[in-house]
This record gives sequence, structure tokens and C-alpha cells, in this order.
Amino acid sequence: MADDTTGGTTGLDAALWRSVAVYRALALVYAAVVIGKNSGGYAHPLGGWAVLAVLTVWTGVATLAYRDPARRGWPLLAADLAIAFACILTTAWVETAPHIAAGRPTLPVSWVAAAVLAWAVEGGRRVGVTAALVLGVANLLVHAFAGTAGGMGNTTLNGIVLLFLAGLVVGQVVRLAREAEARLARAVELEAATRERERLARRIHDSVLQVLAMVQRRGGEAGGEAAELGRLAGEQEAALRALIGAGLAPGAGDAPAGVPAPRTGTGPERAADLRPLLTGQASAAVTVSTPATPVPVPEHDAHEIAAAVAAALDNVRRHCGDGARAWVLLEDGPGEVTVSVRDDGPGMPPGRLDAAAADGRLGVEQSIRGRVRDLGGTVSIVSAPGEGTEIEMTVPRASAAFKV
Amino acid sequence: MIVSEVPLRVMVVDDHPMWREAVARDLAEAGHEVVATAGEGRTAVRIAAAARPRVAVVDLQLPDISGVEVTRYLAAADPPVRVLVLSASGEQQDVLEAVKAGATGYLLKSAGREEFLDAVRRTADGDAVFTPGLAGLVLGEYRRLAAAPAREDDDAPRLTDRETEVLRLVAKGLTYKQIAQRLVLSHRTVQNHVQNTLGKLQLHNRVELVRYAIEKGLDEED
Repeated sequence: MADDTTGGTTGLDAALWRSVAVYRALALVYAAVVIGKNSGGYAHPLGGWAVLAVLTVWTGVATLAYRDPARRGWPLLAADLAIAFACILTTAWVETAPHIAAGRPTLPVSWVAAAVLAWAVEGGRRVGVTAALVLGVANLLVHAFAGTAGGMGNTTLNGIVLLFLAGLVVGQVVRLAREAEARLARAVELEAATRERERLARRIHDSVLQVLAMVQRRGGEAGGEAAELGRLAGEQEAALRALIGAGLAPGAGDAPAGVPAPRTGTGPERAADLRPLLTGQASAAVTVSTPATPVPVPEHDAHEIAAAVAAALDNVRRHCGDGARAWVLLEDGPGEVTVSVRDDGPGMPPGRLDAAAADGRLGVEQSIRGRVRDLGGTVSIVSAPGEGTEIEMTVPRASAAFKV
Repeated sequence: MIVSEVPLRVMVVDDHPMWREAVARDLAEAGHEVVATAGEGRTAVRIAAAARPRVAVVDLQLPDISGVEVTRYLAAADPPVRVLVLSASGEQQDVLEAVKAGATGYLLKSAGREEFLDAVRRTADGDAVFTPGLAGLVLGEYRRLAAAPAREDDDAPRLTDRETEVLRLVAKGLTYKQIAQRLVLSHRTVQNHVQNTLGKLQLHNRVELVRYAIEKGLDEED
């Protein structure tokens, strides 16, 4: 039961009550036409005009009163129904018995349904049906008072059933609309809360980043143990920034930053932004540079490229020691994507990679060249002793189309 | 780098008091004159007119108007204030916008004191101060402009092959000195190439703004 549904001042409620008011006004016009047409045959024509006057006045009063949520209560609803009830009953006195027996409508005709609609809007299905039953009783009483109960026709029954259905259907629809509105309001509220939380998180993260950057800067200047603290702060700053970057990127939230594991069940047709997968691998020793706009590639390709970069960075760590720095550059060319990984390590003499592959150490061969080759791309490795190593991977954008 | 050079008039714009003070102290210790500090963008724009700094060190995250807007105002001032963006945020779009709006330098806050002072000095001299991250952003922007559907009066800026080559090396973490060695160029030439990439982008941005203003103006007259 929705009796306790508070009217409130929501847009939906205002619109519903406006609809009832419009119905009431239109029904008044219809009632006026019917009374004007039939008044010649009334037993008491003046009574007919008096009823029309009451209908007109109450239409005005009800329209104004229902507009104000504070006055929209049971006293008003009860008065509404009582007036409808009385206007129906008056028919027994105004109309002649033969007319009533012949199935002429009651004086207010369909105007009384406005009261049923009001009850249904206020209280829902069951309350609407209750109002319809009350007016149904009034219709039956008209026949009882006029002494025409025996000759009661289908018209009266039709009227009662229509009132009943109006109460039922409108009550139900109103309940559904209110539920939908409540759900929408909850969703909007939730969204606002989420946005506020994100705003707070950004502020907090920004403050934390500022402090970490400061610690890193001052620590580096102080040297000694403080330098170590500074280095740690720098690592945390990079990690936190990467995390925020990954969290803000669409679709990247479900992948742990820096761990580009190949996912199963994802079709190559889904596009993913390559940037967060690479910026997630940034650290104090690794700088990642990307364009400002997304670099969409098929999801599978993105993860393969990120894994190749991870392998390259892993290589840097293993062969060049902790002190080595590395730079990752992502470029979005026409029809292809280029990722370069450069380090400032000791570099390698020519032929060293081939020798490693021949020895069965397949690190670079498989994890980088193999991956990129599978994507239809190319890898070039430039290195010389003392000049670091640069790995450049170029992957065509269209590779997905060939694989499907 | 060298403390004994001509002292500079510098303004510091940062909403974190901790950073504002630290940066101002570093500048003062290096012999520069900190003529103004501001924690809000509008204040910065207002007092810059009176303080007449040569260089403004601007954080991008400000409570009222963004650092990008502050940069736009300062770069358009007469005489123009050179803007060095000093930011802890990795918000790439903001950095790119600030550079397009007229900033000539970008440095992460985690950069060391010496690196920072050197950057301020170079910014004052009109040099472009790039990080690898900024070079990546600028490269990406040129690619984006080149890939965008061409209009009839297409005046999108293009990089020369040499400029692209230099910018890629900056993005890969090479110093200007290393780049000069590798490409057999003078340090100054490398510096000029980098600066040109920025100049063309800023000019294009100004042209776009004017074009936008004219289009809007004409629409209103209709």
C-alpha cells in the first residue's frame, strides 16, 4: 500500500496534479454541454444549473488547492469525493425517472472521475479503486432514489466499471512512475557522491604528490640517508601518479597498473588506450612519454605491446643495474604505433643478442621480437658499448584485421 | 648553475604554501629577486602587472582559474612574462595546453634544485625547457594536427624532419649535448630546433584563437 507516499514537491508530482486539473477542466466543459443539451427535459432545470455552478466553483477551488503540496491532504481529497458523490446523487432529483431508467448519464458525467484520479495519484491503486467504489455506490443510489433500480441498464454499469478501471490503472502507473523517479534520484545522488569522492581523492592525491615530490627534492639535496628517503619518496610519487593516471583512464581501472597480463576471452576488435598500460610502468628510474590524446589499439595488441615494453624494461634492470635510467616513448603515427625504450646503461657489443639467442637465452628474442612479430610489427635494436640500448617497436594499426 | 649572473625578477604561483616558500627560498638563495608570490590564479594575474616579473614559475593546479589561464594572461602581457610550468601533476592535457598558451618551459616538481634554477635561467633567456614527457606531448600534438581532416585554408603547423628527429631524441631522454653529438650539430642549433617546435605550436594556437573570435563575432552580427 502506498498510502504513506508523501506528495513532496518533485517535478513528477507537480506534473501529475497538473494532469488531474486539466482533466477536471475538460470534463467540466463536457458536463456543461450535456447539462445545456438536456436541461429542457429535467424535472428541476434550475437544479441542473445549480449543479453546474457547483462543478465550476469546485473545479476552480480544487485546481488551486491541489497545486499547493501543503493543502494536498485527506481533508481536501475527502471533500473532493464528497462533492462528486453529492453531484451524482442530485441526479435522482433533477432528472426524471424515465430518463434515468433510459440510461441517461448522471449530471456531472465524467467530471466525477477527477476525484478518483486525485485519490489514485495521492494514494495509489487501492485508494483509487476505493474512491471508484464510493462513486459506484452513488450511481446505484441514484437508481434507488429514483425508484428505477429494476431498470438499471448497461450504461450505469459501464460508468462504474470505467471509474473502477481509471482508479486502478492510474494508481498503478503513478506508483511505477514514483518508483522510477526515486530510482533516478538515487542514481543521481550516487553519481554526485562519487564525483565528490573523486574530487576529494584528486585533492588528497595532489597534496600527497606535492609532499612526496618535496621530500624527494630535499632528500636529494641533503644527501646520505636523506637521499635514500628522497629516492623512496620519488618511487612512491611515480607509483601513485601512475595509479591515478590508470584509474582515470576509461577501462583501465580493472587492470593492475604495470602488470599487463594477457586477458582471455577478449576479442581483438575491442580498442584500448595504450597510454595507461605504459605510464603504469613509470617509476623513479623509468620516464614514460606519450601523446596527450588516447592512442587506441585493439585490446589484445595493447596488452602485447605493454608486455613487450615490460620485458624490455626488465632487461634494463637485469643487465644495467639499479642505477640505470630508461625512457619509454609512445608515438601515434598514421597507421602505426611506435614505442621506443632507451636506457643509459653500458650498451652491448654488436652480435651479443644473436649470441644470447644461440645460447638458448631467449629473453629479448621471444618476449619482444616474437610478440611484435605476431602483431605484424618490426623491432629494431640499436646499441653500442657505452651508449646504452635503444629498442624501437613499430606495430601497424591494422594488424587486428588480418588476425580475425 | 652560476649564481653570479644577473639577478632575475621572478614571480612564484603555487597554491601549496610549502612549495611557494621552498621555491622562493631557492630563488632568493641563488640571488634572484622574488618580486611576488601568489596562491591563486586571479591574484597572480593582477599583481603581475605591478610586479613586472621577467619569469613566472606557475603550478597548473590552482584553486580559482587554472594555471593554463594564468599562463595565457602572462604570456600576452606587455612586456610578456616568460612562464616556467612547475607541476607535480602528471595531467598531460593541462601541460600541453599550458605550453600552447605560451609557457616556454616545463619541469616536474621532483626535479632537483640545480635543475630548477637552471630551468628558470634558461626560461628567462627565452630558451625552451623541455622534459622528455613534454617532448612526447608536443610530438603527439603535431601528429594529431597532421592527422586531423584538412580544411581549405589548412595552416596546421608541420615539423621538419630534423625537428622531428631532435624532438624524438629529447623524448627518449637524451640531453641537448648528447643530441648535438649524435646528430653532429651545435648545442645552439639543437636548442633552436626545440624552440621552433614550440614557437610554431604557440603561433598556431594564437591564430586558432583569433579565428575562433572572428567566427564568433561574425555570428553575433548576423
